[in-house]
Amino acid sequence: MRFTQALLLLAAGAAQAASSWSFDDASVSVAAKKGSDAIKEKFSQKAPLTKPVGLGSTDTVKIILTAKEDGKAKRPHQAFVTIKEQETGLEAPFPLTVKDTGKAVVQISQKDLPVQFLLSPKPLKASVVIGSFGEARAVNTPVFDIELQTDPNAPVPKYEAPVRYGKKPEIHHIFRPGPQSPPKVISLFFALAVAAMVPVLFISWLLLGANVNHLTKALGAAPLSHVTFFGSIVAMEGVFFMYYTSWNLFQVLPVAGVVGVVTVLSGTKALGEVQSRRLAGER
Amino acid sequence: MRTLLSFLLLALASVVAAISTSGNRLLVVLDDVADKATYSKFFADLEEREFKITYETPKSDSLNLFNLGERTYDHVLFLPVHTKGLGPNLTPKTLHDFVNAQGNILLALSANTTTPTSLVSLLSELDITLPTDRNSLVVDHFNYDITSAADRHDVLLLPAPKPVRTGIKDFFSEDAGTKLIAFPRGVGAVLGNGQLLNPILRAPRTAYSYNPKEQAEAVNGDDLFAAGQQLSLVSTFQARNNARVTVVGSAEMLQDKWFDASVTKLGGKPVVQTFNREFAKRVSGWTFQEIGVLKVNWVEHHLEEEGAPNDSNPAMYRVKNNVSYTISLAEFAWDHWIGFNVPEADEVQLEFSMLSPFHRLNLKEESHRLAAVHYHTVFTIPDQHGIFNFMVNYKRPFLSNIEEKNTVPVRHMAHDEWPRSYAISGAWPWIAGIGATVSGFLGFVALWMYSAPVGAGKKVTVKKTQ
Repeated sequence: MRFTQALLLLAAGAAQAASSWSFDDASVSVAAKKGSDAIKEKFSQKAPLTKPVGLGSTDTVKIILTAKEDGKAKRPHQAFVTIKEQETGLEAPFPLTVKDTGKAVVQISQKDLPVQFLLSPKPLKASVVIGSFGEARAVNTPVFDIELQTDPNAPVPKYEAPVRYGKKPEIHHIFRPGPQSPPKVISLFFALAVAAMVPVLFISWLLLGANVNHLTKALGAAPLSHVTFFGSIVAMEGVFFMYYTSWNLFQVLPVAGVVGVVTVLSGTKALGEVQSRRLAGER
Repeated sequence: MRTLLSFLLLALASVVAAISTSGNRLLVVLDDVADKATYSKFFADLEEREFKITYETPKSDSLNLFNLGERTYDHVLFLPVHTKGLGPNLTPKTLHDFVNAQGNILLALSANTTTPTSLVSLLSELDITLPTDRNSLVVDHFNYDITSAADRHDVLLLPAPKPVRTGIKDFFSEDAGTKLIAFPRGVGAVLGNGQLLNPILRAPRTAYSYNPKEQAEAVNGDDLFAAGQQLSLVSTFQARNNARVTVVGSAEMLQDKWFDASVTKLGGKPVVQTFNREFAKRVSGWTFQEIGVLKVNWVEHHLEEEGAPNDSNPAMYRVKNNVSYTISLAEFAWDHWIGFNVPEADEVQLEFSMLSPFHRLNLKEESHRLAAVHYHTVFTIPDQHGIFNFMVNYKRPFLSNIEEKNTVPVRHMAHDEWPRSYAISGAWPWIAGIGATVSGFLGFVALWMYSAPVGAGKKVTVKKTQ
């Protein structure tokens, strides 16, 4: 059973190999709008055109052929010229109008082409597809290329690719440039310049006759007050230093309050002693 | 011990829920119950997947898609019927409401029977265009079955379809081998340009659609409906609520005689088996939400800075924090959940956006667990404060939609989060100035209190002036 089935298929295959569709007397011509047939080129199933056919924006390309089954001209059911865009693989069929005698003709101009073809960077490939019902083998051969010549004055046709779900390009946020400092050399130079003013100040005072000659006298007169007073002034600077480095306001205020009270209480005594020296004419 | 227990529980759960994610009540609408026999293998496969099938004719009184506002069926399968209309219970509006209520529809058309107007209206609503003359047939003089359609060429033989673009998950061509799909006497449709429509099976480049009554002799230029890959033989539509509508152009490809049949392609291998049974299983599996359904298990984000607490999903972030984001995805595969592996050329992306995305980052597959794959990334929050969203918007053909949005406020730097002035090199001259002032002041106090005047004791006499 299988054997005879295989034989039958083989026979059918052999029979099919005999009959097939083909086309003959094929030519492509490009006519400008003015009407004159500019170029007419012949092609055949075995000899496709090597040079591309140019199609301008107002031109019409006309393809003529005769469809034949087993060498006899006949009307096929399907006679298309399919034009394919090479970038995306998009294909558009242009059915030929076929008469009963097998003669087929179709005219294509740029306005018949889908807009995606007009934006293609590469030439379009044209093929002829002829097929029909029955056993005859259908034929699909590439025949010529079409090169579109666009009018430079005309606006480029607009085409928006349809929305398709897929991954989108990555975005990385570009951060604002952070705050910048001038070069450290400059900062160091000026910091050192400022810091150098301190010894300049002290040396100038010394040259003007600064001294602490009354220190022993003052300490002799009111030792605790003076020590406490000067100490509390230094302590206040210390509180400011702690505020700068680690403390918050709520830690600073009580301590500053205490130090302030100490300054006031010891200050009355200490400055009183200074007043006494002033009244004694020593200042 | 704990893992063993949880594994056992999971195994038990997967045994219990061995069906589609969206229910198992299937309604089959056909002409008369005798048709059941021609599709017996297809229905047997469906029943094996635990669908509860109800068979009704369109004009039957007991047919109701809705009852008291709820769907009475989860899925509907339409086989070709010879009546022109589908009756008052299956109006286009009812079918439309059914899809809006997340019901799935599988339509099988045939070139021998006219498609009812309700279905044509429903399909045109979805932007699936059928040939207007209602009798059209898809033929291909290059890819047909020699054994059964040597003359009419109306049984197309196609290889199992690969995805049309890279990055799309391949559900329909796995394990096909050399088997071909037979598409006997079917209708081709033309799909609109929307992103919700995806063809599963497209006609070969040389195929075309024609009307046997009016175009028996030849196909003329103006009357050609469509040809080549513009004809979609099995088309799908997935709504934004994940309801699925599939149009199978040939109901005959679901019949018993084409399941595991032997076919011969012109110019191909002598005898090849058809892939129809497996293909029908996959197409119905996709339509009835058994495959291609995704789920988010959980989302976790936390602060990724040294020395900072990293508790999950904090309520607030700060500008320029480093944040780590992980999402766990699962996919339903026929009867149980497995981890979702994103296809090769595709990425799951995280958008960190306020009004528009500030970051769009590809998530990397980080680890695989039972029924979960973690996708993870670490990034820096932009230097803009405001209310931001972590958004994973993953919508792909043949997969259900994932839209996970977590909103977080992003605050400014607090007053004590700025760098200290001693760390800013431009501030050094000013700090030196403060130091100079303090030391100068202390020196002055000491000098003022304890110094003796130069030229001591000189009395200054005030000269009296007249």
